[in-house]
Amino acid sequence: MCSLAAKASEAMRLGDFKAAIELLKRLVKQDPQPRWRDMLADAYAGRARSLAAKGMFDEAETALNKTAAADGTVREPLLYVQCLAKRGQLGKAFQHAVKYIGTDKVPAESAARMAELTAALWLVAPVRVDAQADPNSELGQWAQSAAAAQQGLAAWVEGKPEHEIEPLLSRIPMRSAFRPLRLILKSLITAPTDPARARQLLDGIGRQSPFACWRDAVAATLPDEAQEPPTNAASPSRAQCLFAAEVKGLSASGSQLLAEFVKAERSGAAALMSFLISHAAALPATEAKSACFNLLPRAPDRLRQFESSFGNLAEFDRARILALAAEAANNWERAEEQWCVAAKATERSADPDSRLMAGVIYRHVAWLAETHPEIAGGDTSLSIDYLECSLRADPDHLPAVLKLIGLYRSEGQDKDWHRLAEDAAQRFPQQSAILLQAVDSAIARKAYKKAVGFARRILAIDPINQAVRQRMIELQISHARKQARSKRADLAWKELANAAEWERPDDPSGRLCVNQGLVAWELGNAADAEARLRRGVELVGGGVVGWFFASVEHARMKGGAASGAVLREELVRAQKTVAPAKQEILSAALAISGREIIEARKEIAPLVFRIRGWLLQGASLAWSAAEIHPVCEMLQLAGAYDLLADYARLALLRTPDDASWKLYRAMARVKGDAERLSVREEDELMDLVEDAEARKDFHAANRVQRFLDSVPDFPKGAASRSARRGSSANGIGSVDDIEERFIAQLLAMTLEETPPEMVERLVAKLGRERAISAVLERLRRTPVGELFPVENIRRVAEEMVNTVCGQTSKSVA
Amino acid sequence: MSDPFSTLGVGEDADDDQIKQRYLSLVRLFPPDREPQRFQAYRAAYEALSDQRKRLETKVLGTRDAALGPIKSHLLAPSKPVCARASKTTVTALLIDGIDRSCGQDGTA
Repeated sequence: MCSLAAKASEAMRLGDFKAAIELLKRLVKQDPQPRWRDMLADAYAGRARSLAAKGMFDEAETALNKTAAADGTVREPLLYVQCLAKRGQLGKAFQHAVKYIGTDKVPAESAARMAELTAALWLVAPVRVDAQADPNSELGQWAQSAAAAQQGLAAWVEGKPEHEIEPLLSRIPMRSAFRPLRLILKSLITAPTDPARARQLLDGIGRQSPFACWRDAVAATLPDEAQEPPTNAASPSRAQCLFAAEVKGLSASGSQLLAEFVKAERSGAAALMSFLISHAAALPATEAKSACFNLLPRAPDRLRQFESSFGNLAEFDRARILALAAEAANNWERAEEQWCVAAKATERSADPDSRLMAGVIYRHVAWLAETHPEIAGGDTSLSIDYLECSLRADPDHLPAVLKLIGLYRSEGQDKDWHRLAEDAAQRFPQQSAILLQAVDSAIARKAYKKAVGFARRILAIDPINQAVRQRMIELQISHARKQARSKRADLAWKELANAAEWERPDDPSGRLCVNQGLVAWELGNAADAEARLRRGVELVGGGVVGWFFASVEHARMKGGAASGAVLREELVRAQKTVAPAKQEILSAALAISGREIIEARKEIAPLVFRIRGWLLQGASLAWSAAEIHPVCEMLQLAGAYDLLADYARLALLRTPDDASWKLYRAMARVKGDAERLSVREEDELMDLVEDAEARKDFHAANRVQRFLDSVPDFPKGAASRSARRGSSANGIGSVDDIEERFIAQLLAMTLEETPPEMVERLVAKLGRERAISAVLERLRRTPVGELFPVENIRRVAEEMVNTVCGQTSKSVA
Repeated sequence: MSDPFSTLGVGEDADDDQIKQRYLSLVRLFPPDREPQRFQAYRAAYEALSDQRKRLETKVLGTRDAALGPIKSHLLAPSKPVCARASKTTVTALLIDGIDRSCGQDGTA
């Protein structure tokens, strides 16, 4: 039962009222408590709202009927009355609405609208309200206002003079629901003498009011319309036209013409054009031509008729009309073709705006080519061509320049990218967005001095531009890293000093500080180095995250053994100090994200093994799918598929249906090699893609699809699958490769710290057996000892002693 | 968006200054605190016409339904002062239109 209630609540929360209704019906059947009945009524009301929003008023009314209380009132009274009104049941709507007068059953936010709707419904079909109503009750007062409103309206319709209508209007209280009627009638009798006052009175009626249509009709009859532009000038309703004709006293022929106009307008553009052309003599010529010209894109088959009546169109106008018509018909190829004709015609024109206009058209076609695959089949080069044309016509259009630079970059057209970025930096010297592109371009073509120049220009315009500061710091660190790798620590130090110039005093860079520490170490300044390193580690988050980050930087610059040893010790110590939290693991994952890191993954992958115990503890945390992706990507990058399997296994215990975890479970099993997926796994992953697409989770779908796409011939079937299974993973994809290399590295480092001379001295001093124990103890304090069982370490110690004693053992392979 | 030229009530050949003046006068008449919807419409129209490129975009890539406005005004031009009265039937039809429109607003009924 609890489960049903929980599911129903969740369905309500998600707006799935249909499901909620089904669940609650079952719940009410099992346990007919009032609270479940209430909840069921809420679900019906929610369902009614969603049906009404789709225009399904019959169904919405039926749903609301299910919420009816014993007195006939429903959950959403306004919506119910609106549904009845939309279905044309105005009398029934009023009969229902009147039940709420003087009650508090209408929510406060819809009370005013309900009151005006009730008043309008009554004016349309007046019925006797309640003869027994107490005149002092709210219903009684409403009935008095209604009677006054009706008398006022009748007086106006009958053509009574102002002095007779005024007293009737004053009987309609301004706080009553009939206030809009009072304002309209007052406006109408004021209009001949004071149109401004008449318009002001109309402003008191809201746009959502049922009286708004009448209000607009009155406004259209007032002189000096220029005060407010006629926003709905093109679509007066038949009633509005009739009202205007009656109030303005149009002649019989004028009324007839107006009625034909309204009819033609409702019949579509072609009919309207025919009307305008056939009555051209009775209409102002320029306006008629302009109206027909603007109707042509919706009635392109009337082009010939237009030209025979008003003369031939210019080439540009004709092409533009055909292009707009093609767009309206979703014929994108034709639209492209016609826009190009229009653009070429513009370019030939002597109009001073012609180049700008050509730019507008080419930009539009570039956008069409990008958004409608029918034009270019998804090929971006056509968009690029059109944007290039647009810039030739209008080179000062900044968004087009930025867009084209972006496209050049994404399409790998580096030469064009650099050329445009350079030109744009000269054309737009004060635009930081352009200068930032110029910085990127200069960095990409290794023109570092230029990059620095552009960056300085950005900071002159925008001194707090963090993006450019960050980019310059990264650039200098990257240089320093290269120098450090070539064992030119002095030059690396200089680069880092340059990088420090880009730092803001209030926002020091942890990465810079860590790198300064590492380089200082190489320069032999251990005390300063350690201080900087520790400060940098704190700045990037401290603890395991900080030391892991420093280790990554150390690996990337191929730092020395001394600093490496300190980092190892600190990383081990940090792992023992604090249990991992989600945020820390995520920070560690983010420390090795990014393209540069992926390029250095061979150096970095073993570092992940150094924190594997810590990461393993984190597997039991309650990760959500959104949180875990960076972590899983880190494990994948490092080839730590056993850890990835643990994360996926524990997560699937918590959320067995989660698509992400199923993906990572499969990925871990095949060690990142999609070619090794079994048929069942491939099918399961394909199902995941389809499910994700069905619920519009395109990120999840793409993630799974990317993995599947790494199989060269996927999804062509099983024929090639067996062949695929035979192949092994490349690069560092295999965990075995990684582990072997990692163990070799660790052993080498360990043996460096326990040289043969030392072992020889131990043997001479303590004898073979005690020397083995001493070496064993020493090894257990090293990273190797941290990672491996004591039996294995003992065998390494025995081998080391045996080697020194001149004995060979086959036991250690 | 509806035709920004007719929303602001300016001609297609109006320049930056004329458009700005017209926009400011409308905002003064219908300030955002009193007429937020109307202000939004004017603001959007002004944004669409605020520089020459945008005006060209509006002219070239859009159609002007409001070009029918002058025709309608011509057809409605009064032959005598505005003091005649409408029939009860017409008023009822206007109310029914109004009820129907008001019931289809806000994405609800």
